[in-house]
Amino acid sequence: MKAIALLIAALAAGALPLLTDSNYILGIAVSAAIYTVAAAALNLIYGYTGLLSFAQLGFWGIGGYAAALTVMSFGGTFWQGLLWAALVNAALALAIGYPTLRTGRHAFVIVTLTFALLVNLIARDWVELTRGPLGIPGLPAPSVLGFEFHSTARFYWIAWGYAVLALGGLYALCSSRIGRTLVAIKQNEPLVRAQGISPMPYKLAAFAVSAAVTGTAGGIFAFHLRIIDPLFLDFYYMQTFLIMVIIGGAGSFWGVVAAGVALSALPEVLRFSTDFRMIIYGLVLVVAMLVMPNGIAGWLQQRRLARLRAALQ
Amino acid sequence: MKPLLEVRGLRKSYAGVHAVDDVSFAVVPGSITGLIGPNGSGKSTAIDCIAGFQKSDAGRVFLDGAEITGRAAHEVARAGLMRTFQTVRIYERLSLRDNLAIAAQQFDDAGWRDELLRTARYRRAVAAAEARARELIELVGLTRYAEAEAGILSYGQKKLVALAAALMPRPRIVVLDEPVAGVNPTRIRDVEAVLRQLNAAGETFLIVEHNVEFITNLCHHVIVLDQGRKLAEGTAAEIHADPRVLEAYLGIAPEADDAQRRGAA
Repeated sequence: MKAIALLIAALAAGALPLLTDSNYILGIAVSAAIYTVAAAALNLIYGYTGLLSFAQLGFWGIGGYAAALTVMSFGGTFWQGLLWAALVNAALALAIGYPTLRTGRHAFVIVTLTFALLVNLIARDWVELTRGPLGIPGLPAPSVLGFEFHSTARFYWIAWGYAVLALGGLYALCSSRIGRTLVAIKQNEPLVRAQGISPMPYKLAAFAVSAAVTGTAGGIFAFHLRIIDPLFLDFYYMQTFLIMVIIGGAGSFWGVVAAGVALSALPEVLRFSTDFRMIIYGLVLVVAMLVMPNGIAGWLQQRRLARLRAALQ
Repeated sequence: MKPLLEVRGLRKSYAGVHAVDDVSFAVVPGSITGLIGPNGSGKSTAIDCIAGFQKSDAGRVFLDGAEITGRAAHEVARAGLMRTFQTVRIYERLSLRDNLAIAAQQFDDAGWRDELLRTARYRRAVAAAEARARELIELVGLTRYAEAEAGILSYGQKKLVALAAALMPRPRIVVLDEPVAGVNPTRIRDVEAVLRQLNAAGETFLIVEHNVEFITNLCHHVIVLDQGRKLAEGTAAEIHADPRVLEAYLGIAPEADDAQRRGAA
């Protein structure tokens, strides 16, 4: 039943280019698909495992640059670029995670934040590789077997396909016992160890998967923008992913997906008021946090618990 | 009889204070062994060293003949020693059923590929864990809360969940750190009954407790620690009659106790 509903939702989202030929709407839809995947990846490491990672921004940027450089400097295809975006980020996540995850959660936050800042610095200052502030413009449209994804409508298929694939994979992971173990690690790590489970491989795997998924999303997004420059590492992206996770409810898979789609559309819906758009956006976020401090999913959960308590009384 | 758990010359000190000082004891398979002592006598430190939560300075620990000295906590658990904690540890935001199921998952044959692909082996393992969890939840009398978040339970009920979780993978030995501290007295009798029933079915227990009555009722063999050293060991009756134990526990020699009583009368 649930599977059928999900299938219908996925197909309906995929049919969007048939319903509209507005590049404006399709552009928002591309962003929504990509941001939602990045938020779901952050949810895996932060919402499920309880490790707040600011490195997502770095992975996003490295993914973008890896894909762009594969095509522009190393003569590869877009698809190879995405593969590199995933692999490089997974390897980096393992390299950062292995020493850092032995220390506390706070150290992890600091190290991941530093990593994101460092990537920003490299993007700006390693001019021979990244062309620095000039960026790399003119990223070509991806193509497969002669079919070019040159219009926004066509590019949307790539974003949609990746979103379906990535969200499906993440859902399989999060809803398995592995996902439950990640939640257990977040809630009570000594107990997890007392039950014969070594937390380290789980944390590392969650971090690496999260990095690879975010990096690939960044690679696709760079080709959507057709240019990559250090602004691709603007903190705006990190903040967007984090807001989606918090509003959706950290640790709730569908809560974060719903928030990802809704919050991608919200600033655009508010365009009726150009002057107050971002103020209203901020107000909506503040009110949402006041009413639902644990996000949409947390709020629903609270109501369910209240009913349960009442029933048990 | 060959001991199931054997501790030889265990030592652990913090900044020169000997928390555990040359402690040796053995737990016979099928027994309920008690480890008692006043506050700060080193019971919990000893348990932490045995279960791999702290590194001991010296001494060796054997589980069923195999050395587990210095192994990481999760390795000790996999070797068959499950423990609970003094301040109750459960997964507050997970259901009782999930609380128990997690405790068993390291012990079945479903790997991560099985998990992601939901293979038959995965489904079999999940079904087996669910059946076992249902059985144990019933044993500790919490069936009506099985689907509820564990966080809504009372403190005593949480201790029962922790106990049930420790039993999930059918460990060789269960180490309970103060299973009835803070538990309502009528509940204590329930816990006693549950432990007796499990022991009759062959489960071995090592119990750290303050509650002397609980230990006396339940244990076949009692070890007394005082200031990090083993003070005495024997049956509950022998321990009760031991003047050194009374001195350590009550801070008064039995003669003084008698004199006081006579004075009051």
